[in-house]
Amino acid sequence: MARKMLVDEEMTQTNQEEAHFDFDLFVIGAGSGGVRAARFSANFGAKVGICELPFHPISSEVIGGVGGTCVIRGCVPKKILVYGAAFGGELEDAQNYGWELNEKLDFNWKKLLHKKTDEIIRLNGIYKRLLSNAGVKLFEGEGKIVGPNEVEVTQLDGTKLSYSAKHILIATGSRAQRPAIPGQELGITSDEALSLEDLPKRAVIFGGGYIAVEFASIWRGLGAEVDLFFRRELPLRGFDDEMRAVVARNLEARGINLHPQTNLTELIKTDNGIKVITDHGEELLADVVLFATGRLPNSKRLNLEAVGVELDKTGAVKVDEYSRTNIPSIWAVGDVTNRMNLTPVALMEGTCFAKTVFGGESCKPDYSHIPCAVFSIPPLSVVGLSEEQAIEQANSDVLVFTSNFNPMKNTISGRQEKTVMKLVVDAETDKVLGASMCGPDAPEIMQGIAVALKCGATKAQFDSTVGIHPSAAEEFVTMRSVSRRITVSGKPKENL
Amino acid sequence: MATTFTAPKLSSPTFQTLCRNLPVFTPLPNPLSSSSRHRHHYRLHLQQQRRNLSVVRAESENGSELLRHYDFDLFTIGAGSGGVRASRFAANFGASVAVCELPFSTISSETTGGVGGTCVLRGCVPKKLMVYASKYSHEFDESNGFGWKYDTEPKHDWSTLMANKNAELHRLTGIYKNILGNAGVTLIEGRGKVVDPHTVDVDGKLYTARHILISVGGRPFIPDIPGSEYAIDSDAALDLPSKPEKVAIVGGGYIALEFAGIFKGLQSEVHLFIRQKKVLRGFDEEIRDFVGEQMSLRGIKFHIEESPLAIVKSADGSLSLKTNKGTIEGFSHIMFATGRRPNTKNLGLESVGVKMNKNGAIEVDEYSRTTVPSIWAVGDVTDRINLTPVALMEGGALAKTLFQNEPTKPDYRAVPSAVFSQPPIGQVGLTEEQAIKEYGDIDVYTANFRPLKATLSGLPDRVLMKLIVCAKTDKVLGLHMCGDDSAEITQGFAVAIKAGLTKADFDATVGIHPTSAEEFVTMRTPTRKIRQGPEAEGKTGNEAKAAAGV
Repeated sequence: MARKMLVDEEMTQTNQEEAHFDFDLFVIGAGSGGVRAARFSANFGAKVGICELPFHPISSEVIGGVGGTCVIRGCVPKKILVYGAAFGGELEDAQNYGWELNEKLDFNWKKLLHKKTDEIIRLNGIYKRLLSNAGVKLFEGEGKIVGPNEVEVTQLDGTKLSYSAKHILIATGSRAQRPAIPGQELGITSDEALSLEDLPKRAVIFGGGYIAVEFASIWRGLGAEVDLFFRRELPLRGFDDEMRAVVARNLEARGINLHPQTNLTELIKTDNGIKVITDHGEELLADVVLFATGRLPNSKRLNLEAVGVELDKTGAVKVDEYSRTNIPSIWAVGDVTNRMNLTPVALMEGTCFAKTVFGGESCKPDYSHIPCAVFSIPPLSVVGLSEEQAIEQANSDVLVFTSNFNPMKNTISGRQEKTVMKLVVDAETDKVLGASMCGPDAPEIMQGIAVALKCGATKAQFDSTVGIHPSAAEEFVTMRSVSRRITVSGKPKENL
Repeated sequence: MATTFTAPKLSSPTFQTLCRNLPVFTPLPNPLSSSSRHRHHYRLHLQQQRRNLSVVRAESENGSELLRHYDFDLFTIGAGSGGVRASRFAANFGASVAVCELPFSTISSETTGGVGGTCVLRGCVPKKLMVYASKYSHEFDESNGFGWKYDTEPKHDWSTLMANKNAELHRLTGIYKNILGNAGVTLIEGRGKVVDPHTVDVDGKLYTARHILISVGGRPFIPDIPGSEYAIDSDAALDLPSKPEKVAIVGGGYIALEFAGIFKGLQSEVHLFIRQKKVLRGFDEEIRDFVGEQMSLRGIKFHIEESPLAIVKSADGSLSLKTNKGTIEGFSHIMFATGRRPNTKNLGLESVGVKMNKNGAIEVDEYSRTTVPSIWAVGDVTDRINLTPVALMEGGALAKTLFQNEPTKPDYRAVPSAVFSQPPIGQVGLTEEQAIKEYGDIDVYTANFRPLKATLSGLPDRVLMKLIVCAKTDKVLGLHMCGDDSAEITQGFAVAIKAGLTKADFDATVGIHPTSAEEFVTMRTPTRKIRQGPEAEGKTGNEAKAAAGV
């Protein structure tokens, strides 16, 4: 299809070059970004090969699986467990609505785990089919770069295949890392946490990011005693401070023990479980210790040195705005580039890559107004700037509208948990700079708001939209009074 | 959300207006305190003179109006969504306002109502609470697929729900009263009747007002068939003393669908009788089909093209419904959800010359003014778009028009709405059928998928999402969804559609993964392109949702 768009001269050229390479594109890594780039490139008419490690729920240097982190060890299994865990709170809430349930509810972790694994195996199959339907040739094995236009795939039986490709795309993603503390081998990462044989009774989580917060909610919802340790005062660094405090409050109210400004210093194996020691001198026993202390790009075993692909100090592949590395024929998308590590962003990068290289259309991924969600219970979702970012970047005053309310469902369930919503507005242009929400359905609600923000919607346009009653989302279009105004100098004026 | 209230603003804009207009008055008296009412009235009347020139022109026909003293600047009959909003805002703008409302009861009648109106007492709020309660049975089923097990089937205790629901309604009616009180609105309990263009009679006591607002809402309507006295309406259905064992619901509108879901979820046997082939006339055809299928899968028995002819009560107390197709016996309850009618009877409207249409709805102009210049009407009594947020918009616009020197027309474009059926529906903008009629060439994008939750629960739940796009301008003309969280999802998109955004704008937005809502920003290929010409392309792609995201 793309070829049709080229002028005759280029067409001849392309055909000539084609003869020199086994593939137009060879992709290393069949996760979200790699599969997208491969499929779209194939749809544009390119001859595409892709390699991926054999399937397994827990990743390592030598195992992975088509679908990648999102499908096998991230978004999908995580969301499944969040669904499972959310029923815990739902069942409590049901009672004031008149439902009589057994005192002792039975939850079968093995059943959930088994069904989760079935589902990701099913999705793994769908992804393979998507690739083959698009005409992409899939190789199972570990890919390495041998030259600017040459890759080598080591298959399961040890045999090596070598292919030349006009373009090479690195889309190998990232993996969870562990902190270097004594006894770290006793802990697990999110990979294992998604596939634990037994549900822990006592869980310790180290980390304050979204993965830590999500697992805290999952295990707590399923009945475990959960202790969450993190270095900062609040979890979720980088998010709006007010919303971080809301999340912390909600986690605590749901029974999670928070240990802010605390590091784990050592893990020791005992007969009663893992003894966890903190830098405050605390000791506690746990069945499971989860390290959610960050992820590192999977760039080590790709042999990138051989061709001189530049990495940053975290090991992320350095790319330009079009996802091209310093070697013109080698490109990289997704978590391995450590730009914004989200599935839909990897998809966007993969699409732009395919358009740029094979679609005859230069296309830069646009990182403005990317919405995202934290699937804690209840969830947090944001798009655009936090209040702090807005103030930092502001040329004029910033207006903050907040709504803090008891969701209707709680009026009868009796759950003491407020939903908080927030709009950050440029006082001069009236543009909505940021929106955030913590409460039930926040991620679903935020998607439409994200479309509006992406296109520069003003507060007046929000106000002119009629609400859907009764919903939580209608609060976003009925915020009439400013909670505070922050002047350019940064001084808040309360109660305007 | 109805359970939250923005604290009434104490009219600082009005103070500013007053200061600007009347610099001689210092210090400013509190417009809400009764001791200052006299002076306050005087000031308002001066202010009114200016308005009369620009806004309420008709008033100035009568020169003596300006000198006449009224008890109130605004007298509102009916303290539901529209009435309370108009009254509060008018008071915040500096007007002296009274509102009358019937005494509280969960069942409305000629003599009962309650502050809060239909939405709070007999509509949105209790309905949604019942939806929450009834949804649990589906959640119990879902939770089985996620490893949760119940030794004995969860049982529902009807009286707990009713008691907790009614406690909440009492709390809310109290809050609404406080809101009115805090705004300085005088609340009068009783039945208001219009006596002349500036006088309202409340149970024998007369009040004069510069403007009268009719916001008395609507009430359920049951057709007059033999045995109709045995039928219940939605008022009663929201406050039944015990669980209906087997219920017939007559009607195919949103109220019928919502109650079918409620009763089914609370473990009743539910039969739905609809006159047409499909439910929800006026909605997108594909959505109509889809919601019908999904509700059938959840165990609601549909009786299509079946109209009620009579209700017969048997000796054992059970009810039979006789229809054009036969008789179905053994109902504990028969509910009619066959429409609502404006509450315009015995309001004295005919005598003062307020014109009504044949359904009894008050005719109003774009500013909500009736045929009598000093009488206005908002909300369901005008039968425009009968939704709480629309009544709020009309009430807010009216207060601005009358008391803030800012003539404001309610804007009825792209009003989103939801049906809290199970699964629920959200929609904004045009249906496919309307769009074809209005624009001719359109592209339709659909996604019909099994959501992630259903793949685990094993239940046959699906989600339908739909975008209607103008082929010429790329503008998104309509958005429709049926599936979990539809109402919540639609709100944000309503902002985008109201702002006139294009399909390209939707596509430029990054998805939130994994959600259902992200489907709306990842619809790449039109399902069908509809063109004026004879040949229309058709293609359907029902790939698994997870796959579609790649």
